[in-house]
Amino acid sequence: MKKLIVCGLIMLSLVSVTKLVAADKALQIEGSTTVGPIADAFTEAFNKTYPDIKITVTKNGSGNGAAALIDKRCDIAIMSRFMKLEEFTAAVDKGVMPVAHTIAMDGICIIVHPSNPITDLSTQQLHDIYIGKIKNWKELGGPDMPIVVVSRDTSSGTYETFDHFIMKKVKMNASVEYVSSNPQVHARVKTTPGAIGYVGVGFLDAEVKGLKVNGIMPSKETIGNGTYSLSRPLFLFTNGFPELGSLSYNFCTFYLSEKGQEIITAKGFVPVTHY
Amino acid sequence: MNDSQINQVLSPTADVRHQPLVLSYGQGLGNFLSLYIGRSILFLITCTSVLSVLLIFFFIIKESLPFLQKFSLTEFLTNTGWYPQAEKPQFGALALVAGSFYVTITAMVFAVPTGILAAVFLSDIVSFRVQNIVKPVIELLAAIPSVAYGFFAVMVLAPWMQNKAGFNTGVNALNAGIVLAVMALPTIVSVAQDSISAVGRELREASYGLGATRMETIFKVVIPAAHSGIIAAIILGMMRAVGETMVVWMASGNASQIPHPWWDLSQSIRTMTATIAGDMGETAKGSDHYRSLFTIGLFLLIMTLCLNLFSEYFLTQAAKKSGIRK
Amino acid sequence: MKIIVRCILDKIFTAITWITVFIIIVLLIIILGPILSKGTSAIVFKDTIEFRKMESSIHNRGSETQLAAQITQTASIRQAIYDTIEKFKRGVDTESLTDQARAIYRDFGLQLRYKGLGPQQYTEIRSLSKDIRDRLDTAFASEDKSQIAECLNFVMQYADDPRFKGTSAEAFFKMAIDFKTAVEKIDLAKHYEYVKAVGELEDLLTQLLGPRPGKALPATAMNQFGATRWDLAEKLMDNLLWKEEWVAQKPGQPLVKIRTERAKEFAGTEIEPLFGYIKDNLEKILKPQWRFYWQYFIDNSTPGHYFGGIGPEILGTLLLTLLSMVFVIPLGIISAAYLTECTTDNVVVRIIRMCINSLAGVPSIIFGLFGLAFFVLFLLPFLGLPSKPCILTASLTLSILTLPVMIRASEEAIKAVPLTYKEASLAMGASNFKTFISVTLPAAMPGILTGVILSLSRVAGETAPILFTGAVALGPVPSSIFHSTRTLSYGSYDMAVGDRLAMMVPHNQYGMVATLVILVLCLNTSAIILRSRLFKKLHGH
Repeated sequence: MKKLIVCGLIMLSLVSVTKLVAADKALQIEGSTTVGPIADAFTEAFNKTYPDIKITVTKNGSGNGAAALIDKRCDIAIMSRFMKLEEFTAAVDKGVMPVAHTIAMDGICIIVHPSNPITDLSTQQLHDIYIGKIKNWKELGGPDMPIVVVSRDTSSGTYETFDHFIMKKVKMNASVEYVSSNPQVHARVKTTPGAIGYVGVGFLDAEVKGLKVNGIMPSKETIGNGTYSLSRPLFLFTNGFPELGSLSYNFCTFYLSEKGQEIITAKGFVPVTHY
Repeated sequence: MNDSQINQVLSPTADVRHQPLVLSYGQGLGNFLSLYIGRSILFLITCTSVLSVLLIFFFIIKESLPFLQKFSLTEFLTNTGWYPQAEKPQFGALALVAGSFYVTITAMVFAVPTGILAAVFLSDIVSFRVQNIVKPVIELLAAIPSVAYGFFAVMVLAPWMQNKAGFNTGVNALNAGIVLAVMALPTIVSVAQDSISAVGRELREASYGLGATRMETIFKVVIPAAHSGIIAAIILGMMRAVGETMVVWMASGNASQIPHPWWDLSQSIRTMTATIAGDMGETAKGSDHYRSLFTIGLFLLIMTLCLNLFSEYFLTQAAKKSGIRK
Repeated sequence: MKIIVRCILDKIFTAITWITVFIIIVLLIIILGPILSKGTSAIVFKDTIEFRKMESSIHNRGSETQLAAQITQTASIRQAIYDTIEKFKRGVDTESLTDQARAIYRDFGLQLRYKGLGPQQYTEIRSLSKDIRDRLDTAFASEDKSQIAECLNFVMQYADDPRFKGTSAEAFFKMAIDFKTAVEKIDLAKHYEYVKAVGELEDLLTQLLGPRPGKALPATAMNQFGATRWDLAEKLMDNLLWKEEWVAQKPGQPLVKIRTERAKEFAGTEIEPLFGYIKDNLEKILKPQWRFYWQYFIDNSTPGHYFGGIGPEILGTLLLTLLSMVFVIPLGIISAAYLTECTTDNVVVRIIRMCINSLAGVPSIIFGLFGLAFFVLFLLPFLGLPSKPCILTASLTLSILTLPVMIRASEEAIKAVPLTYKEASLAMGASNFKTFISVTLPAAMPGILTGVILSLSRVAGETAPILFTGAVALGPVPSSIFHSTRTLSYGSYDMAVGDRLAMMVPHNQYGMVATLVILVLCLNTSAIILRSRLFKKLHGH
């Protein structure tokens, strides 16, 4: 009996070692958690048409996606910000030519708990909240509750955009809670009455309350025409332009098709074209 | 033949090195060589564990050394600002160390009295049969994976703290501390109970003989007698709490700050382990941030190894004492 | 102190210890209770017809004919609901009516082109149809009944015009007639609110009943079906009947949630009785049935674990644990054999034991760091393989993690074999080695097996070491050990904090954790039982 078990274990390990799959039937995608839901949905749609191709989507931040593309560990990097100069030069040094595809427009929405009476904040007020100058909602005309400030971790593209528009390189306060993805910010703010956080517009729904920034509410129109100040494009980066007809190419141009646009709109983002 | 002689015959060759290279009666050269080679191979295989420890140290030091050469160690340990991805990166790990410290001390404050009382319960107050039922139940707490504890902390305890107990935020030092206490409890109970049981009957009987009540015997005789083992139990519990990652990552809020009134546990903190786990996914391999995480890891490793050595020391003290008793 | 006080203190102390242990057991129940009870709802629950539809389309399970029969049974009731809404919308949803009018105009323009008319006639008919369209648009957008009547009358005068007969322009007139009848019943001043409310109602109905038959299926599987579980359906029904709004109380104070009946928004229209109708007929529409979804352990899941089961996660955990056992069992047994049989207490052995104890004390995240630095970034390139985290590196990391456990358990087991066994064997003339292999090891096997089971349970539950050495949250089923995999432990973490879709399916979240906990607890309990049986066997009582 024990011998059988041992033999079985050896067999299992041998079998797994010998089942190596050919490398070109897989697509590795890494990067932003904001663009992640779009990539997941595209993957699902692709799995229907190409069922034997393995598409892996790893969502761990735009910075990591860029690093993976530079190291040639992934085929497509999904990023919610453009590549930084250092990343670009590192890529070129390693022989990688990053090519950007803009697949959707996104806005950074400021969200609070639905019970919060505040409806509007200015960029200066946001800046002050995140550096810790404003600590209580009553200073903004709200209830007497300490502000629970939630931020994305520092390698996130969402964080970078927020930093670019609001923080302007000033460091955030030490008491800011860090979470590592958009859904986590959403979950924290949804359940904490005193919380404030920022997410991509795709994560704005009935369970949290979106605030106007400088008087403008984030919506498809205001993001699309740029009146909402915290808008940004979402990118797919590839190493050079993908070969016509290859799997990468199909994935990177899927956003142009009607189905792709439907997915992007369904996920709450703003498509770059009209269909 | 008496016992010692039998043992001598049956015990394997004490020290292969000291055996003269002379064939004993009935042993062929091939047999001897195979024995020697066999033993050496076994020795090498056994050394994997030594090799692993050495490799762990080596690789972690190797990855953190460039960081330590670039940034000063004192700044690392005394600065509270952890901004690794800012324009001018700041690597101040004091808040992280303080976070681990807060969470561990909170856990110990809850776990040590509970653990020792439970150990006393198991060894002194109930019969062997009840002991055999209750001890596995407590050990069941040790078997639950840490992810399940983290899940509980985030999905059940945090909402309760926020909604029913009126905390600002449900993920804070107290939440992580309580769950870590539950995780460290079985270790403390088990080791403390072993050492309390190892205190010989004579001590207890002598104490009862002098007219002490059970509580007085336990507090004034048994526990002091077993003090090394109990201290070892506490240190082992501390090691478990310090080294735990998933629970603190999910339930402590991850704000790299030292709580503002220092005793306010309802604020969110970040521990060393959560920083390593959380930041590693986003760093580029070989960057300063990556190496700073290895430095934190090195610090954590040295701390746990020191705690380990202490617990070893106390355990051998306890073994010596009970050895003398026997 | 007086003796009475001391006795009372003693009794209090005993009570305190009893309470402490009681608290510990209560804690155990508090921690395990919600996880296990909510987890079972992932397997045993009331499903609806939408679930069976999903099963047959994604997993090809269930009898097609039965399903088709059930669908036809529900179709008529659903159709009644859709019809009521459509009727209402015809008078209200002016945006879609405007779009329709434009579409008709475009189609008519195309048809006109192929009729082969002269340029003047073409322009005349085309501008007439444009006029009709514009008038219809005005009528749709207006809130003044007399203006609507005027525009519609203008349109209707061309109803019998021979130039429009047999073309798509006939739809213009049908629209005008429908709109006229619908508008008579509706309070036009509120039509913007009606449009919004009907939009919300339709969204909720889509979530409850699935997309409308005849319309194109949405791209993601999640949106292709309605409420698949009866508890979810009941929650959606509640959402449908009651509208929750956050209303301001006093300025500067938090808003308060207020529930209002949605039916009141449609007071006086034909949609008002629809709510009662849906509520009464919900069971007939969704046909709930109890289900034992054991395929939960085998099925793959759609992204976000919205549908499906945890098959790949269980497979991943099994692969990782078994592969790490392959590495750790020989190492552990051989090391234990060496330490117990071949040496006495000298410096080298003390160093080895110290190292084993240190290894036992290293935090699990450090193993993760080590696994990343050594196995992924050093060993794999050294062997010429791409340096990606994979099952192999994760198993190697886990095997070093459990090496101390294995060595200790094996040592205990080998030491526990009574000396008499060895004496007997040596007396027969067997060499030390033969004795060990044929007598000691088999006798120690149950103890070693206990150690193996304890290691298995430790490895199955570990998350930190595999975070960066081989586990992913989303990915295909691995086809070789050089791929990364999903596991129960990492999946539980991801479901608890990382995934937004996961919050919508709490039964899946709890189901995954519950599976992990039950797996680990079963392994541990079997180890304990084995150990106590072994104790009795070797020591006779």
